[in-house]
Amino acid sequence: MTRDWWKHLILTLGALIVIAPFYMMVSYSFKSPGEIDRGEGGFFGRQEMMVDERCVKLRDPNRDDIAAALLRFPNQTDAQIRDALLAEATADCSMRPVVFNYTKAFTEAPLLRYLLNGVIVTASIFFIQVLVAVPAAYALAKLKFWGREAVFSLVLFCLLIPVHAIALPLYIMLAKLGLTNTYAALVVPWTISVFGIFLMRQFFMTVPDDLIDAARMDGMGEFAIVWRVMLPTAIPALLAFAIFSVVAHWNDYFWPRIVVTGNRDLFTPPLGLREFKGDGDGSFFGPMMATATVIVMPLIVAFLLAQKRFIEGITLSGMK
Amino acid sequence: MAELAIENVTKRFGDTEVLKGVSLTIQDGEFLSLVGPSGCGKSTLLRLIAGLETQTSGSIRLAGQDVQGVRAADRNLSMVFQSYALYPHLSVRDNIAVPLRMRRMTGRQRLPVVGRVMPGARAATRQMAADVTHAAKTLEIDHLLDRKPGQLSGGQRQRVALARAMVRDPAAFLLDEPLSNLDAKLRVQTRVEIAELHRRLGATFVYVTHDQVEAMTMSSRIAVMMGGQILQCAAPDQIYEDPADIQVAEFIGAPKINILPVATAPDLTLTLLGQNLPLRVARATTGLRLGLRPQALHLAGADARLTGIVAHTENLGAELFAQIEVPGLAQRLVMRAEPTQRSSLRLGAPVGIDFDCRAALVFDGAGQRVREVEHLAHLPMVEAL
Repeated sequence: MTRDWWKHLILTLGALIVIAPFYMMVSYSFKSPGEIDRGEGGFFGRQEMMVDERCVKLRDPNRDDIAAALLRFPNQTDAQIRDALLAEATADCSMRPVVFNYTKAFTEAPLLRYLLNGVIVTASIFFIQVLVAVPAAYALAKLKFWGREAVFSLVLFCLLIPVHAIALPLYIMLAKLGLTNTYAALVVPWTISVFGIFLMRQFFMTVPDDLIDAARMDGMGEFAIVWRVMLPTAIPALLAFAIFSVVAHWNDYFWPRIVVTGNRDLFTPPLGLREFKGDGDGSFFGPMMATATVIVMPLIVAFLLAQKRFIEGITLSGMK
Repeated sequence: MAELAIENVTKRFGDTEVLKGVSLTIQDGEFLSLVGPSGCGKSTLLRLIAGLETQTSGSIRLAGQDVQGVRAADRNLSMVFQSYALYPHLSVRDNIAVPLRMRRMTGRQRLPVVGRVMPGARAATRQMAADVTHAAKTLEIDHLLDRKPGQLSGGQRQRVALARAMVRDPAAFLLDEPLSNLDAKLRVQTRVEIAELHRRLGATFVYVTHDQVEAMTMSSRIAVMMGGQILQCAAPDQIYEDPADIQVAEFIGAPKINILPVATAPDLTLTLLGQNLPLRVARATTGLRLGLRPQALHLAGADARLTGIVAHTENLGAELFAQIEVPGLAQRLVMRAEPTQRSSLRLGAPVGIDFDCRAALVFDGAGQRVREVEHLAHLPMVEAL
């Protein structure tokens, strides 16, 4: 054990490097803009009351406001009333940085809508991927037909094609079909996962032929075998595939950025981050990091809930 | 229940011919064992009967009906697999119910959730539950119905597989080495149980095994297969006592039969290591061999036909097997002896061995049995030689 200390040291260093950006994200989501700029305040920041300047500016009293407030402030000049109103607005607009960041995250952009889009898109992608990959993998693993090896080589070949290489033709096809700025554009290009076919095929190879023969003797057709026998036995492999699929498409920024151009109602969570990209008046790093934290939270919660099965799945796929 | 007729069936996988013209008729209610070494084609033959493979040529008839092109599911045969092949995600109850669900319920009734409210579904489910319980009771696994296969021992899984096979009353049972994954003790016990199950159900059983003991103890008939052919198909005692082929004689019986090379004298009597035997054949051929079961050999005095040295002994308690090196013979002779004779069978001890010529089996150079053997009352006068 003690002789392995250097292994642990290297692993710890590696873990720190991997965790560092994540640490920054969570830390920034707690801090005030000043603390972020100056790089102070530790992990949580000092959490001193801060004033939201934009909120105050929005409530800058005009003539009507002052006239309306005359009753509350009798016997005072307009300038005095104006100062009092401003002080009220400042008091109303001051809050803890953490509250500021997270309320901004949800109010500045329709983050819940984005999260819902994310769920719709990743769930549809995964569902259709399974619908396609499981029967295909079954045929490639267990059925004998002419050209099976050639088809499988094609599957392997497709694994080598990077998404970015075919992004442009895909976009043009979708545009010609009039499908840009729809859910279909976000889902359809991903529905056939060669990785999924490959992974499930490798798993099905390990399912004993006797089980399939037994199902045939029991009166099942090939489709019944796929859905009633193969799918339930392949749950671990399916979970492994689910991790890759859901993580990849939940976090995907590239493709939604390309096919969703105008309609904000179709934004997926990563696109939501763009809302805080400041143009003239500097970036809002606090709310932006709060948004990022909210986006990754569902994945982290899901991981913690199913940690054991996830790790089983990853080791099973031999990836990572 | 049905008669099963296999006629001239061949099967090739690519260039290799696995079955070379097999013909076999299995009577209704018979327990037939297909026995042979691994790779002899016995499992392939069973899979052809089941409909899991298609024969290259020849025909298979079930109750007089050619089953060419009939799906495995529609042949009404049940199969028990070596690995049991239970559905790992279903409970024992559901495993046994699968063949019933697939046969008795319509596709709509089998749907999850909504299937339950389809017309007739409830009655079918109740009837199935009763049948499953009945099958489970027969095999004494009714207390395991709610477990998953992963929680069962090998023997229990075996029973579940049997229950799944018998629950739908098939025309015949096909069993593919069902005992080979069990430990020795359980195998003996399950052997008896399967034989009893066969008697109780009165159904046709086709049983594939490489274990000749299983074949000998359970079957009404044994078909010995080698190299894609059936060498002999007969009742167990006939296969043992009257093998038609040297390979059959060597395969059936443990320990293995002793094979000794013999020659023919000019008067057509046989000679073993230069000694005449009171056996006369009808024709002189080369390569004649004598088969002697270990129990045909016995210890004898110094005037014995064979003398050798004890090389190894195996004491099984009730009996004792001695391996004896005989000068002039390539292989050791195996002899059965009574445990009381242990003292004279010490390692390295010289012994004399004699045998009863009436128990000797004669095979020709091609391995075929030579039946025209005359047993002479007295040794021919050879002293003159």
